[in-house]
Amino acid sequence: MKQFKVTFYPEGREVVINSNQTLLDAASQAGIYINSICAGEGVCGKCKLIVREGKVFTPPTHLLTRLELQRSYVLACQTMLNSDVEVELPLETRLEEVQILTEGEKKRKFLDLFALVEKVESQEKLEKEFIYKLNPLVKKFYLEIPKPSLDDNLSYLQRIYREIKKREDYPILQTGLFNLKKLPELLNDANWNVTVTLGERNGTVELVQIETGNTTLKNFGVAIDIGTTTVAATLLDLNTARVIDTKANYNTQVSFGEDVISRIIYAEESEGLKKLNQAVVDNINGLITSLALENNVKLNDINIVMCAGNTTMSHLLIGLTPTSIRKEPYVPVVNFLPTLRASEIGIKINPRGLLANLPSVSSYVGGDITAGVLASGMNKDSDISILIDIGTNGEVVLGNNEWLVGCSCSAGPAFEGGGVKCGMRASRGAIQEVRINLKENQIQYKTIGDVKPRGICGSGLIDLMAEMLKEGIINRAGKINLELNQPRIRKTDQGVEFVIIFDKETEINQDIIITEDDIMNLIRSKAAMYVGTDFLLKKIGLSFNEIKNFYIAGGFGNYLNIKNSILIGLLPDISLDIFKFIGNSSLTGAKIALLSQEALEEAHKISQKLTNFELSIEANFMNEYTSALFLPHTDLRLFPNVSKKLNWSV
Amino acid sequence: MEIIKEKWGTAINTLTIGATKEEGGTRTSKVTVGGETTLPFLHFEGEIPYKPVIAMEVLDLIPQEWPKTLEEHFKDVWHDPALWAKKCVEEYKAELICLKLLSAHPDEGNTGAKEAKETVRKVLDKVGVPLIILGPGVHDKDNEVLAAASEETRGEKCLIGDALQDNYKTLVASALADGHSIITESPIDINIAKQVNILVSEMGIPLERLVIYPTTGGLGYGIEYAYSIMERSRLAAFMGDKTLACPILCIIGQETWRAKESKSENPLWGAVEERGPIWEASTAGAFLQAGADILVMRHPKAAEITRKTIQDLMKKNN
Repeated sequence: MKQFKVTFYPEGREVVINSNQTLLDAASQAGIYINSICAGEGVCGKCKLIVREGKVFTPPTHLLTRLELQRSYVLACQTMLNSDVEVELPLETRLEEVQILTEGEKKRKFLDLFALVEKVESQEKLEKEFIYKLNPLVKKFYLEIPKPSLDDNLSYLQRIYREIKKREDYPILQTGLFNLKKLPELLNDANWNVTVTLGERNGTVELVQIETGNTTLKNFGVAIDIGTTTVAATLLDLNTARVIDTKANYNTQVSFGEDVISRIIYAEESEGLKKLNQAVVDNINGLITSLALENNVKLNDINIVMCAGNTTMSHLLIGLTPTSIRKEPYVPVVNFLPTLRASEIGIKINPRGLLANLPSVSSYVGGDITAGVLASGMNKDSDISILIDIGTNGEVVLGNNEWLVGCSCSAGPAFEGGGVKCGMRASRGAIQEVRINLKENQIQYKTIGDVKPRGICGSGLIDLMAEMLKEGIINRAGKINLELNQPRIRKTDQGVEFVIIFDKETEINQDIIITEDDIMNLIRSKAAMYVGTDFLLKKIGLSFNEIKNFYIAGGFGNYLNIKNSILIGLLPDISLDIFKFIGNSSLTGAKIALLSQEALEEAHKISQKLTNFELSIEANFMNEYTSALFLPHTDLRLFPNVSKKLNWSV
Repeated sequence: MEIIKEKWGTAINTLTIGATKEEGGTRTSKVTVGGETTLPFLHFEGEIPYKPVIAMEVLDLIPQEWPKTLEEHFKDVWHDPALWAKKCVEEYKAELICLKLLSAHPDEGNTGAKEAKETVRKVLDKVGVPLIILGPGVHDKDNEVLAAASEETRGEKCLIGDALQDNYKTLVASALADGHSIITESPIDINIAKQVNILVSEMGIPLERLVIYPTTGGLGYGIEYAYSIMERSRLAAFMGDKTLACPILCIIGQETWRAKESKSENPLWGAVEERGPIWEASTAGAFLQAGADILVMRHPKAAEITRKTIQDLMKKNN
């Protein structure tokens, strides 16, 4: 078979591929991550590349505009080579580092982490009741061990155990051969003054490590949220519970498929599982290394990693085949992952350090949701709360300290920028706030990082839809009003579109638009979230008015306009002050569990207590769903305040 | 024994189709439907002030694949929609004429606004009953010919359709200007039925001038589904949902005569010339029980049977 060389610019990276492989394969080989939502099916049109030099085969596609074709754009996943080529990654194709999350975390002052989310600022007293004891899974003790003598002739190991038990009464202590072999020399060298690292592993306590002298001050852990789209990690000092730093990057599994189902399918291909596993392990190692380096922490002093992710992510993390998750009767391999040694799956911390996971509930309600419940504190509250996690795989939990029910609703990636022509994630250059004044032809917007816009993210899309509805640019079915005679409204071969920002003002030198198809995708997403929430309430026989706290979690960055979310029917039309936007609740839950065994135990209780309802088998689901496919909803009686404000008759 | 009665708070809207000379039209008769305050024919429970009505279908072209049982009744007139309509009224006692401007369909002749106006005018002049006017069912052509027909029949208070979720503006604007009522169509889906009505009424046409066409099937072809959607929308209306409190129209003939059971020669199934009309009448009977107010029918014999059924069902049963 013929082979050709591909050079990627601006990186200048070169790879050689076979003539039956695509440019997307080449990018993957070169370690260059390209936006590809459909995993190479050729239907999302996100993997655009510019061919600078060389001959390629590429089938005709309606996903590229005439202007793009003139500029030699191709879709990477559809393009094969006929010679060596040089290609360039346009801005919109790049996966950029997410910056927003880190900024957000800092703002929210997570220093006092044991206070539950959002209760920090306002209700100091209440928060104390919710505090979990600082009691991490991995602890260090400095021991000054009496030397053996004829009167006190216990063995070396027994002497260590005796000192440990003076500090804390562990019933079962274990030590592996590795540490045992080191004992005589180490104890003598250290003059019997050593630091032991103890790790709680599935009910027993293991002597993980013995070091010379006192190193107790150096005990760190990392909490990780493995999202389908974003991986975020926080470095913590386990002695003081201090948050040292938080970083996030993209889950590079994205290049193998945007949602969990396409990744499960990819995992079934040869080497697929291995690639997916390697991708996320690389992401985690990248985050940990950069957290450690920038904060002068040695990797060897990081003793534990606590992960929260949906069930599929957890499977892929430890390399379990996730196939059964997508096939009837939708049963995962495990819900409760045992605590492992992090090195077993290739995570680079202290080689004897541990890896723990928050437990899942079912195939589609994962550890991220258990973490979310833990972070919101709804499991400790006698009032009834709702938690919704708006993501590709949306989840809803309802309940209080006595009971919890949950369901997952496949909301799709629209609020994360997928399936929306100019959609992008909440990263630099994303429009996150929009105000429209059509009369004066004014559109005000704000981008993340205050730079020129590259696209629009979830919170921007919510604003945009609400503003378009208020201004009469779209009707309640989401159709654009062609009769407005507005230069921003255009009819093309692919349907009707609205120009949010004209090309001159943008970073990508193309108009940032929203199409009727985009709006339909968003309406489907918001409908799925609303129906999931409404469904759980009905199942229990409650109404929205009986909810005391409505927690909203998700990767929206720092901004989410609650009023506009209600206006489009994503959130119910109830009193504004019960809504609490808690950001990345999965990461917060992981942090809490990392710092407290009691919290982790609580997470296990949550996962056992949480009853999962399957939305898809509900007879009335389609009816409720179609009813929600309208702005804000077909039944305006459910949205009295919105109707009043916009003068709609109920 | 005491019969337990349900008391609903809402009535179905009353709609009159057709305007006489005094009202600014030229019709010699008008038809009023709706006004129910209870489920179909439960006379002991509430009011059913107006009986369901039968409209007979007239096309503006010669039908190509109609079976013999239909052909023998209409072939003498089907070259001329006005004569066809006249025969339906005079011989077959149609209370309304449902004129379908099918020749505007791009595959059927692609006629335009001018022809539509002429056809409508001819029928108006020939018969005195009120008109239902339907387009060919293709967005652009619907907008073209229905707007023309609406203008030509200004003041006649016709019922024109169909308004769809993604194509309703031209039709609503015309009907508003010319004083007609509108048929709103939805694909056997109660939510979409409601959504179309909301969109249409937001343009300023009152809900009282809307008739719901829920897309009904023929007997043996998903009739149960259409039945339950109609029943549910009626129940929702009675429970206070004004956007669904509209009379319902069912297109019986068109659906029945698509079914092979109504037209295939098969000795085991009995004589086809009887089977077809019975198939249509049975379909109509089912939809009457589901809440239909206007039935659009084809076969004279089926219409006759259905007229008798309606008479029987309208007898007080308390």
